Amino acid sequence: MTVQMIFLAFFGGAAVWFGVVVFRTHSMVRSALALLFSQTAIGAMFLVMQAEFLGVLQIMMMATEMSVMAIFMVMFMMDPGGMGKMDMTHQKRLSLWAGGIGLLAALLLVWLPDWGPVALSVPGAHEQAADLGRELLGRSMFIFQSAGLTILTAMIAATMVAIVPNAEQGK
Amino acid sequence: MSIVVVLLSLAAGAYALAVIERWAVHGHLSLTGPAWAALALLGRESLLARKSDRLFFELGPVLLLVAGLMAVAVIPLAPGLIITDLATGALFLNAALAYVLVALIMAGWGPNGAYAMIAGWRFLGQFIAYAMLIVMPITAVAMRAESLSTVEIVASQEQLWNVLYQPMGFILFVVAAMGLAWLPPLDLPDATGELAGGVEAEYTGVRLAVLRLARMVIILALAGATVTFYLGGWLGPWLPGWAWSAIKILAVAAAMLSVGRYMPRIREARYLALSWKLGISLALANIFVVGVIALVVPI
Repeated sequence: MTVQMIFLAFFGGAAVWFGVVVFRTHSMVRSALALLFSQTAIGAMFLVMQAEFLGVLQIMMMATEMSVMAIFMVMFMMDPGGMGKMDMTHQKRLSLWAGGIGLLAALLLVWLPDWGPVALSVPGAHEQAADLGRELLGRSMFIFQSAGLTILTAMIAATMVAIVPNAEQGK
Repeated sequence: MSIVVVLLSLAAGAYALAVIERWAVHGHLSLTGPAWAALALLGRESLLARKSDRLFFELGPVLLLVAGLMAVAVIPLAPGLIITDLATGALFLNAALAYVLVALIMAGWGPNGAYAMIAGWRFLGQFIAYAMLIVMPITAVAMRAESLSTVEIVASQEQLWNVLYQPMGFILFVVAAMGLAWLPPLDLPDATGELAGGVEAEYTGVRLAVLRLARMVIILALAGATVTFYLGGWLGPWLPGWAWSAIKILAVAAAMLSVGRYMPRIREARYLALSWKLGISLALANIFVVGVIALVVPI
């Protein structure tokens, strides 16, 4: 139990530290990949908490998502490498307030609700994957299917908006 | 114990693969060639580009090697001969290999060179093409095995290998794996002809040696995955399990290394279009067919 706590604290600390690095660096690619490693650390926390499927899934999904985000950040920022030492922060007062309120909300969420007793025994990894599958194809199927359809619609719409019809394509 | 055996066989496999690649590229078989080439690389000066992103430049090849090693950890070479038999092995393999993309972006961005950077981002485009075609065939394999554990996936092929059970998935997976390992004709990130080596362009000396070794490990991991998922893993008559694994993995890796050399390099846009319009439809059809077979005739 204690070894587990130590690793949990380590990966939690790593997640927070990489989260800080996201804002401290000037390079867009470093920023995106720091966010990736922050999310990977959260995946490692899942693994420490013996939620194998969720942990592996988190580690897998974030690698691609953050890489795709990195290329968009490079495309849209004026100084993607951070070598021009351009200040890219803005609306500082608003972001301070938003960050403070977010932190407060997170802390309240940790302390206030009754989280119930700590689970002492965890089902095996095989069982967890099977349980998760039954949940996704049973009770939660409608929610996940509608969420999937919504995302698909948004993706198709975004692609349609991005394609500018021009004279060459019209022929 | 098994971790030492797996790592030693990995080293032997990587060397054998280097010999085979040399044979496929230059046309002459030399057993000592890769050793001399490696020594030469270690002795060569390791250049550092001016104004490079040092952290990414150094970490890129290392992360690539780590990703390959993590992927190897869930590949069974014989009953009991596996570093870790995870309940989510097939998914873990994907998770590990997703970091190939991250490593190549880092290695491309790091040296602050145009060719390398274009190549790194180009691999991101290539990823969009192959990613779904790695995951969806594995889904069909896991459907038959009713498990994501690689050991159970091999055990499920006792009666009939998956290459016969779901041949379409096999073809899609192998082509996607070649995209993942950036092998010709899908070697867009280091396209020698147009990008002067791409990601590899700015690397020299020890760092290049690590990059090349990492790529060999990734090719071996993918060949191992192909054998585990489709060619019955260690299963086979007469010979012991480990020997079958070794023969099959080396044969698949050699085929992946040499076949593509006889095809023209594909253009990025065409690769994406083919993968999404043809590949994903076929992969979905594969999942459907496997589902129907699994329900109607359980083998």
